[in-house]
Amino acid sequence: MRLRSVQRGLRIGAIAFAILTYLILIGLPTRLGSVATPVLALLTALIFWVALRGGKSKRALADQSPAPLALTGATAGLASGLLTAALIAGFARLLAAGVNVQPYLDKIVPLNMAALYGVMPGAVMAGELPGGGWLWQVGLLTLAGVVGALLVLLERSLRQRTWSTGGALRWLTIVLPFVLLAFVIWLGSPGVTLGGNNRGTLRLLAAMAAIGSALFALRAAQRGREQRILALLLLIGLAYLPFTLDQFQNSVMGIVFIFVMMGLGLNIVVGFAGLLDLGYVAFFAIGAYVYAFLSAPFASPAFSALLTSLGVPADAPLVSFWVAIPITMLAAGLGGVLLGIPVLRLRGDYLAIVTLGFGEIIRLFMLNMSDLTNGPRGLLNVAPPYLFGYNLGNPRDIFILALLGAGVIAFAAYRLDGSRLGRAWIAMREDEDVAQATGVNLVQTKLLAFAIGALFAGLAGQLYAARQTNIFPDNFTLFVSVDTLSLVIVGGMGSIPGVVLGALALKGLPEVLRGIDEYRIVTFAALLVIMMIVRPEGILPSTRRRRELHEEGGPASEPAITLEPALPTDYRTLDGGKL
Amino acid sequence: MALLEAQAVTKIFGGLVAVGSVDLAVEERAIVSLIGPNGAGKTTFFNCLTGLYRPEEGDILFDGVSLVGLRPDQIIAQGMARTYQNIRLFGSMTAIENVLVGQHVRLRSTPLGAIFQSPGTRREEQRAEQQARELLAFVGLAGKGDMIARNLPYGDQRLLEVARALGSRPRLLLLDEPAAGMNPRETDAMMELIRRLRNELGITILLIEHDMKVVMSISDRVSVLDYGKKIAEGHPDEVRRDPRVIEAYLGAGVLAGHNA
Ligand SMILES: Nc1ncnc2c1ncn2[C@@H]1O[C@H](COP(=O)(O)OP(=O)(O)OP(=O)(O)O)[C@@H](O)[C@H]1O
Ligand SMILES: [Mg+2]
Repeated sequence: MRLRSVQRGLRIGAIAFAILTYLILIGLPTRLGSVATPVLALLTALIFWVALRGGKSKRALADQSPAPLALTGATAGLASGLLTAALIAGFARLLAAGVNVQPYLDKIVPLNMAALYGVMPGAVMAGELPGGGWLWQVGLLTLAGVVGALLVLLERSLRQRTWSTGGALRWLTIVLPFVLLAFVIWLGSPGVTLGGNNRGTLRLLAAMAAIGSALFALRAAQRGREQRILALLLLIGLAYLPFTLDQFQNSVMGIVFIFVMMGLGLNIVVGFAGLLDLGYVAFFAIGAYVYAFLSAPFASPAFSALLTSLGVPADAPLVSFWVAIPITMLAAGLGGVLLGIPVLRLRGDYLAIVTLGFGEIIRLFMLNMSDLTNGPRGLLNVAPPYLFGYNLGNPRDIFILALLGAGVIAFAAYRLDGSRLGRAWIAMREDEDVAQATGVNLVQTKLLAFAIGALFAGLAGQLYAARQTNIFPDNFTLFVSVDTLSLVIVGGMGSIPGVVLGALALKGLPEVLRGIDEYRIVTFAALLVIMMIVRPEGILPSTRRRRELHEEGGPASEPAITLEPALPTDYRTLDGGKL
Repeated sequence: MALLEAQAVTKIFGGLVAVGSVDLAVEERAIVSLIGPNGAGKTTFFNCLTGLYRPEEGDILFDGVSLVGLRPDQIIAQGMARTYQNIRLFGSMTAIENVLVGQHVRLRSTPLGAIFQSPGTRREEQRAEQQARELLAFVGLAGKGDMIARNLPYGDQRLLEVARALGSRPRLLLLDEPAAGMNPRETDAMMELIRRLRNELGITILLIEHDMKVVMSISDRVSVLDYGKKIAEGHPDEVRRDPRVIEAYLGAGVLAGHNA
């Protein structure tokens, strides 16, 4: 029994060590500064908490008894502490010896190590490290292990009492977004640019956390009046947010919500209809380029020549941002149908590969059709949106527009989810053959998924072009597709609020931690792996998805068949066809 | 004229003639059983009828219209629905959602109607949901509409398959071993349900069943397949005594009343 606890502790410690190594290698300590070791320890405590809970079910939680749990936690903490301290000491020695590791490990610099030891960088170079430095690291991480165990016990005792899950915890969830919003407002007054400094970063983080927690609050609220009132209050808070954030923060939020728009569209294709589309960026690109043509015809040699020959002046936008919306959306939707037709018969991996190719083809087209698209030099001077003569091209207004766009798309997606078409999508995802034999027209249903997904991406693309004002083929690489797919998966496939959370986590957080930007792909991979282990259904899954991945209670044992009296309404004369 | 008329339907897999030139006529409002040993080609025949397979030869007339070459979703719209031998529900959907998918071909709402909740769409959805609940009650699943299909007990899943098929308001219902794996009490209830489908809803039934007690007591006519060929057909009592049928089943006890 004791041996098993220790073994489990060693295993968890090794996992934590791997994560810590990663965080050190990407230079997180450098960013954190003097608080690096305590913050890492805090993070490790959370990792231990998740790992020690073991499994997601309530039963697994109840099975944990205090003594072995504490032993496991302490072992895990000690193991990760010793390993990490050894790693740090090793790096510090190397640096002190004057070995240049930067070509191989680009973030292993004196600053990084100094942060971990809580000393000046010079001390690292001189090899003058505090003698007990490693004890400090080991001690803190061991403490993290114990704290992790305590957290599990605390969670268990909270869950065992009904009032806490039903009452206090619920209210806490509901109040949290407002607390965070208040924190955001308290941190800085409107118009103050806090951009790069820590206070500004914290503010951005708090704003994102406020939006994220709002989604959990909505889910925690009781259906009906309580939920409606909460939604209204949250909307007011959300509407205020752009006016309190500074330029940098608004611009990050703008991009996050442009990705929310895209994610919601891809969620329809992948999450609802189960069609794995890796070329989704194509529709984003179509939206952006079509808007660019419409608003800056002069930027495209071929297009402006054509317009001039038709007698249309090409030196000004052809239509306004608002009139362009239906045009770009239709163009993208058409692209969706064009992609959809050839891949109708493909399933799974084959579908993924072909769509991936489609995305690249569109990008290469933009790159090589120089006459039309100006090739790699891009289309410049795309018009920002105007409303009654006001230029809405600033970060704040773009964020507001992205919020509105995401809101409209989320609303449409939500309505579709519960509709005849939405049911057909889910049925098709679960069993294509049976869905067809049950009456679902596969061609129509698949094309509608591709087309509607593409429409939304087109709108996102237009807003993106208006935000950037200059667009290049390089804005539309495969990585945009990958990012979007990642945020859908991380948020929870098929879940509309999940998309928002996914976008905040994957597009917003990297902005907060700018330093890890070049490690984005690795971070995605790491996040995805962790997600799949801890929460395979995503951060905020749709209820249906949760059902698919977790068997919630087996089939009831007693099959009771009772025959009911005849149908109340006359079955034969019912006509659903009347509309 | 018969409601369903299969003429010389043939389906070949590689070299294997799974269904060989089978003729079958099903009169309106009849209950017809299709029996035969394992691997005789019964399910394959159903798959030909419902468009999952395209027969190599032969024709299938439903109410005088040929179904060959139509897609499965077009065939169910004509008024022929089915259940599956190995239950194939949409597991993560609720019971009521399963029935609503079954109603798909009878509903008209469009994506735009759904997004804007046009009065027509709203009315249609309300009616569809009401009807789905009635169908669930009819098959004996009253009050279980919001349960996840996968979590339903086995017998209930079989009933839900029937309810989903009923959603399309079929004239002909194909049931592939609806009582397979059920206990005697559940089997009796299923037989009763099948009778009521015909008597109260006027639905014609074509049934694959291994349980001879069910077949003999419920059927107006019985057809027997063996190695893809139809070897006998007629009134249950005639078929029961037919020496070719007894031979096909080898163990003569099978038809004498004991269950297979
Ligand atoms: N898709 C397929 N590909 C190849 N062979 C098949 C296929 N489907 C069925 N078969 C073969 O066709 C024959 C008839 O199978 P079928 O499932 O129709 O029998 P069945 O009468 O329904 O049997 P059971 O009573 O076991 O359900 C079998 O030999 C089977 O192996
Ligand atoms: Mg069969």
